[in-house]
Amino acid sequence: MFSYVIRRLIFGVLTILGVSVVVFVVMRILPGDPLVAIFGPDGFTKLTEEQRAGYMRDLGLSDPLWVQYLAWMQDVVSGNLGRSFFRSESVAEMIARRGPLTAQIAILSVLFSWLIGIPVAIVSALKPNSVADNVVRFFSILFLAVPGFWLGMLIVLGLLFAFGYRAPLTGASLFGAPWTTFQMVIGPAIVLGLGQAAYIARMARSSLLEVIREDYVRTARAKGLNNRLVIALHALPNALLPVITLSGILLGFVLAGSIPVERAFGTPGLGDSMFQAVKERDIFVMQNLVFLYAVVFVVLNIVVDVIIAWLDPRIRYQ
Amino acid sequence: MTEIETRSGGSAGAGTGAASASIALDEAANAIPIGRRRSWLGEFIVRSPMSAFWGLVVFAMVLMAVFADVLAPHPPLKPNFRMMTKPPSELHYFGTDQIGRDTLSRVIHGSRTSLTVAFAAVLLGTTLGALWGLMSGFFGGRFDIVSQRILEFMQSFPDLILAMAIAMALGAGTWTVIVAIAITRIPFGGRVIRSVVLSLKEMPFVEAARGLGASNARLMFRHILPQCIAPYLILATTHLGVAIVIEASLGFLGVGIPPPTPTWGNMLSDALNSGLVPPWWLVLFPGLAITITVLAFNLLGDGIRDQLDPRLRRSV
Repeated sequence: MFSYVIRRLIFGVLTILGVSVVVFVVMRILPGDPLVAIFGPDGFTKLTEEQRAGYMRDLGLSDPLWVQYLAWMQDVVSGNLGRSFFRSESVAEMIARRGPLTAQIAILSVLFSWLIGIPVAIVSALKPNSVADNVVRFFSILFLAVPGFWLGMLIVLGLLFAFGYRAPLTGASLFGAPWTTFQMVIGPAIVLGLGQAAYIARMARSSLLEVIREDYVRTARAKGLNNRLVIALHALPNALLPVITLSGILLGFVLAGSIPVERAFGTPGLGDSMFQAVKERDIFVMQNLVFLYAVVFVVLNIVVDVIIAWLDPRIRYQ
Repeated sequence: MTEIETRSGGSAGAGTGAASASIALDEAANAIPIGRRRSWLGEFIVRSPMSAFWGLVVFAMVLMAVFADVLAPHPPLKPNFRMMTKPPSELHYFGTDQIGRDTLSRVIHGSRTSLTVAFAAVLLGTTLGALWGLMSGFFGGRFDIVSQRILEFMQSFPDLILAMAIAMALGAGTWTVIVAIAITRIPFGGRVIRSVVLSLKEMPFVEAARGLGASNARLMFRHILPQCIAPYLILATTHLGVAIVIEASLGFLGVGIPPPTPTWGNMLSDALNSGLVPPWWLVLFPGLAITITVLAFNLLGDGIRDQLDPRLRRSV
């Protein structure tokens, strides 16, 4: 187990290095001239030759690319992640201020997806092709297609029309003002949770259908065990393994999905700052945020792999 | 063993009881192409009527996109300052936006943008990925190892974030959005086709062709490539829905195709910018269009996958 974790970690560090190169290529080399990305094609043509050279020097963009890359990596390792081009706040401060809100949304949404997805999958798998099963399948197919940010807009509108209610928009901390934070977080969490629940229900249903046919489940039934016990204690634990893996992957996608969803709800989380960075064409903030999201994605995958290995000896000893 | 079980567990996905009863028969017919009684289309309709229906919806969407100029009751870009932010009425079935543009016409024209971007991006990305996977699987060795790592790095980003970063770096425009979405599709094509090629490479017919002195290029393109077409088609259809959602999200986040071009994502973004309380008709209709389109592509994709290769149920 220990050597497995070490191997996975080394691999993860290599992946993160590779990811940093991809981010650097996309944000710094792809635009050709970073000033075009900052000022836009129109703004760029309005700059004089000296202004361009001045900006390039101030931003450290006239150094050779590998020097720029190393400087960025130094920023990342030192933990301040560079500065926004337009604000005084460093990217690290921004993440510390806005990150918790997005993290709460992500974790709550995973909780929701399990609370909805798993019971629904059990009902569905126990009676395949029944009315309940078909209803469940209809909704999971539907929620795979509904864009989260649109659902978010509809919920905001619906609450406004029905109750004249609007979730608070300004910052609050979890411990300082738990009720305000909860109101800000619950909407995006429900929307993102429903989207995941559709995947979870689908996966859990097919996985459960597979496990139910296994010999050991038949043995448990043959012993005369109550069907509920067989499902809950024998079939479900094994059926949930692929669901855990999926949930980890989905969590990464939730972080991405929270960008438009936070915009729809007006939640001031990290996704919203990503949207602001795009709007202000702030490539330095964008570069660091994209890198952060990718690192979180990679780390989540490692955590899930380790959890699975811990739960499933078949993988540990491979 | 598991494949068969998954198949039988999931075959319910095809829909009605009559269809699932005839699956075994159809599969037998499928195995011997000479004995086929129905045309490909007929078989598809009988086997998965749901998917066939949604295929029809996709077809209608494509027609709508092609004939948008004829179908739209008003010009999509023309403001009408006497009809600003009006709810749905006889004159404007889907209402009008803040500067009096007809929402129905904009939704119809939006289908053109969405479908063009989705088809172009998936075609480009999946094809590039497939070719890469073909070479990587066929040649193996160091090239394969390096390719696998690169694809892994690309897959370490959630789709939307990579697409946002690329679209922002390249600057707004139709082609930028297509390229941004296409790049996020490459790893999927690469990995799936590579695994197909790895198993095909060891097959006797490839060995035989090699024994007859066929060159690497001939082996790849004449013998292995044709076998990759089914997984390629399945992959492409299942990714169309994803591409539509990414395109809409990019538009919503302001890195999509720049206004005034009507796209569904832009329309939702405009609605949100229109004030504290966006008018409901500006929110409802573009989103419905996205949902229906994605639903249609997903269900058509499911049907095509079941038709071409039920074993890919899990991997694609």
